[in-house]
Amino acid sequence: MLRQVSRPILAAIVVFSLSGFTIVWDKPASEAGSKAAPQTDEARMAAYADANWQDKVVPVIEAHLVPLAKLRGELAGGADKAGAAYGLRPEGEANPWNFAVSGEGKIVKAKLKSRAAKLEVDTDDDGKGDVTIQLGPVIRGTALRDAMPFIDFTDFRDQIEFAKLANALNDVAHAHLSLPESDPTGQTARFEGVFTLRGDAGTIELVPTKLSIGG
Amino acid sequence: MTMTRRNFVSAFAVAACLLASPALAEDKGLMAIITPSHDNPFFKAEAVGAEKRAKDLGYDTIVLVHDDDPNKQSEMFDTAIARGAKAIILDNAGADASVAPVQRAKDAGIPSFLIDREIKESGIAVSQIVSNNYQGAQLGAEKFVELMGEEGPYVELVGREADTNAGIRSAGYHDIIDQYPDMKMVAQQSANWSQTEAYEKMESILQANPKIKGVISGNDTMAMGAWAALEAAGRTDVILVGFDGSNDVRDSIVKGGIKATVLQPAYRQAQLAVEQADQYLTSGSTGQQEKQLMDCVLIDESNAKALETFALSE
Repeated sequence: MLRQVSRPILAAIVVFSLSGFTIVWDKPASEAGSKAAPQTDEARMAAYADANWQDKVVPVIEAHLVPLAKLRGELAGGADKAGAAYGLRPEGEANPWNFAVSGEGKIVKAKLKSRAAKLEVDTDDDGKGDVTIQLGPVIRGTALRDAMPFIDFTDFRDQIEFAKLANALNDVAHAHLSLPESDPTGQTARFEGVFTLRGDAGTIELVPTKLSIGG
Repeated sequence: MTMTRRNFVSAFAVAACLLASPALAEDKGLMAIITPSHDNPFFKAEAVGAEKRAKDLGYDTIVLVHDDDPNKQSEMFDTAIARGAKAIILDNAGADASVAPVQRAKDAGIPSFLIDREIKESGIAVSQIVSNNYQGAQLGAEKFVELMGEEGPYVELVGREADTNAGIRSAGYHDIIDQYPDMKMVAQQSANWSQTEAYEKMESILQANPKIKGVISGNDTMAMGAWAALEAAGRTDVILVGFDGSNDVRDSIVKGGIKATVLQPAYRQAQLAVEQADQYLTSGSTGQQEKQLMDCVLIDESNAKALETFALSE
């Protein structure tokens, strides 16, 4: 039975069944005369991020959302304990925890005219910023990617493609934000998003997935 | 196949290595440890870390060096297969070229556990444990931008093109640096991870661009070469940041020379690969995904003294 299946089709079946996602070639790679898929890493990862955002990424965040104030209390008992209860991270030694959090606070500083625009928010009423909300368009880090249980590094060609995936997810997060047009300093920010816990959580660099400003 | 003089010599060296390895194998059998040249202390640390852990766990070992030559690496796989190795710990000689030998070992029933560098296929090796080069490069680039005061002409030294790590580090550097419009890259050249090549490249770059303010390097051996060239030219004012966390660069940081580097936990990574090999051989599974990332740590004057042989003491 299997013998009757042509080789390109068989290859497509193997690719389809082995990997967590599907790559659709316009024509078999062998015919394209190149080993490379007919898209750049960037374009392919952007398509992957778009395709999975609503159905897979958002539900993971919603399911793991923890109020920031509550998480801070839990973190006092140790990162691994809090991580086991609320965190998300890939398997492997010494991978940092990622958390999906919700919170609100007063915007104490805003940097809007930048490729890496950001808001600093005071969420514990001490007058100092303790959460940095990354507005982009350049959003740093791999928190969104590394928080997703359905994303496995093994399914990706190499670190370069995998890095592009992190950036692509950050780009989609950015695209879903409506950004303040004037200086929002002094107003209240309500947010949901993901961050990677590094060190003592003194300052959190959040990738926002929801943001509203006002009041 | 004609045997070149070089092949003959390396085959001879392999034979010598085999004879020199302890005849008294313990119960668990042989583990082959294959890395690039130990001239780079990074690879030596890997080999030493893996060998020590393997012996601790009851394996006999052979340690082989492929010198980044895929043909040599291929011969070493044949040797490991012929010797009936139970597992192979590998820092490979090229992301594409290494797929075939790892597959050959797999077909012979020998699992491979990769460290430091990836290969372009999954499902062939049991583990691929690599440093989170992208995260590490971003750490190095952030420090570099801060030291540069967010502005000025700089140079990037890139690693060997066939190595994925060269590309990913460069991408990590630029994803940070390119956010600062006043940071101007005036030259970007590959020195193939080599200290001597970096010295020569840095010399000529300096002649063409005497006003450079900083250099960011894809690894520490190239950083050492570049620093020697800068010293020779009386340009120790140039800000230099490396990648790896070698003892040489640590010493330079402590003396106020090179400003920073990024530690890859090479020693631990090699030990972890051996532990996963042991677990796989004894239980049939590592309990981990094939491809695993390990985070890197920024090393500067604040923590350089705690660094020893690619590990940071607590």
